[in-house]
Amino acid sequence: MIELSHVYKRFGIKLAVSDLSFKAQQGDIIGFLGPNGAGKTTTMRLITGFLKPTEGKVKLFNENPITKRLTVLPRVGYLPENNPLPLDMLVKEYLDFITEVKHEEHIENIIEELHMDDVYEKKIDQLSRGFKQRVGLAAALCGKPDILLLDEPTSGLDPIEQDVIKNLIKKLAKKRIVIFSTHILSEIEDVATRVLIINKGSLLFDGAKPKGKGSVEVLFKKLIKKS
Amino acid sequence: MKALYKKELMQILNSPVGYSVPVAFALFLGYLFIKDVFVVGSASLKPFFSVAPWLLFILIPALSMRSISEEKRANTIEVLMTLPLSEDTIVFSKLLSLLTIISITLGLTLSIPIVLGLISTLYIPEIIVGYIGLLLLSTLYLSFSLYISSRFSNQIASFSISALILFLVTTLSSDFLANLLPKTVQDVLLFGSPILHLDNFIKGIVDLRSLSYFIMLIVLFFKLTVIELKKRS
Repeated sequence: MIELSHVYKRFGIKLAVSDLSFKAQQGDIIGFLGPNGAGKTTTMRLITGFLKPTEGKVKLFNENPITKRLTVLPRVGYLPENNPLPLDMLVKEYLDFITEVKHEEHIENIIEELHMDDVYEKKIDQLSRGFKQRVGLAAALCGKPDILLLDEPTSGLDPIEQDVIKNLIKKLAKKRIVIFSTHILSEIEDVATRVLIINKGSLLFDGAKPKGKGSVEVLFKKLIKKS
Repeated sequence: MKALYKKELMQILNSPVGYSVPVAFALFLGYLFIKDVFVVGSASLKPFFSVAPWLLFILIPALSMRSISEEKRANTIEVLMTLPLSEDTIVFSKLLSLLTIISITLGLTLSIPIVLGLISTLYIPEIIVGYIGLLLLSTLYLSFSLYISSRFSNQIASFSISALILFLVTTLSSDFLANLLPKTVQDVLLFGSPILHLDNFIKGIVDLRSLSYFIMLIVLFFKLTVIELKKRS
């Protein structure tokens, strides 16, 4: 359902993504791992069609997410890096907008799932970082997407909130593809079924999550050192 | 489109600029009108229609400066551009929401012809055509300012550049410039001046050339904004 084939992305002379190819199928929970500036966010943006590849092809459900955005994007939920939100709006106003655009009829289930009832009528600006993250997640979950792309979903959250998000990802992944980027190795061990490791724009590893505690960390450090 | 239009309108009205600038615009024009009627002794709408463009070149960039610039700065543009909405829908919804605010602002100034109608005889069709002209000029300025807003992620830069260019365009037809420049240069500049085309509407004439001029430029800047969003660089 997701296919990247020999994708390159250049920003001026800087090569952000180089010859990136991988496929993802329903049920995959992919932990996308890499140091800061490795190309994780650029890859996420290429998958959603927010960025155009310099070379290569990105396909979602066998369609180009840029030229067929109106048919592809209703099936994609995306939480961008740093969770950008319109801070001047109420949670309710913002989610009403998203639900209308994505034709979600049961926003109340998402609100309940994310324990957001108490903040629903509040201004986004007044929320804690954890609740802001939940608003971004709620927006990504609207429309029951088949693909869920979460760019550092637990960034800046306390351990309890990180657990809430991790459990949610596990629960959501059953009927979907979930790709979440992170540089927290323990998150990959807790949640992912498959690991992609990227550095300097190149894919270093694509395979099943290594078994055993600390094995992801060992693999990651070894590959980064080598690259 | 309806959802985005509602959201945009809500965001404009949530910001102080959204309501204070239109009210200030209407009050200032009202003050000028009262001064004209009771101090100068002139009971005409011509001064109102002539002064309005000089305020619109500030009002419109002030309203539209955050429209796309702020989305870029706060990166909410990434959320917007990854929703199932076409670039045309995004730009059109933004333009329509801003046009709604401008229409309300111009609606506030309707008290001027109403008061004038009480103390003198007015030719209503001329006033309607004058307001249509102002609305067309406003839409052109909005379309242009939205394009400038799409080029910058800093709303102050967006406002300054948009206001400066609209100021220069507004002065193209001024007497001051006419006295400085050679006749042929003046003629070329005048043809490009929206104020000259607005003048036809103020006189109560729906000139097809002026109408086409406004529509073509509105569509041009609308399309340029769409192209800017489609770049995805």
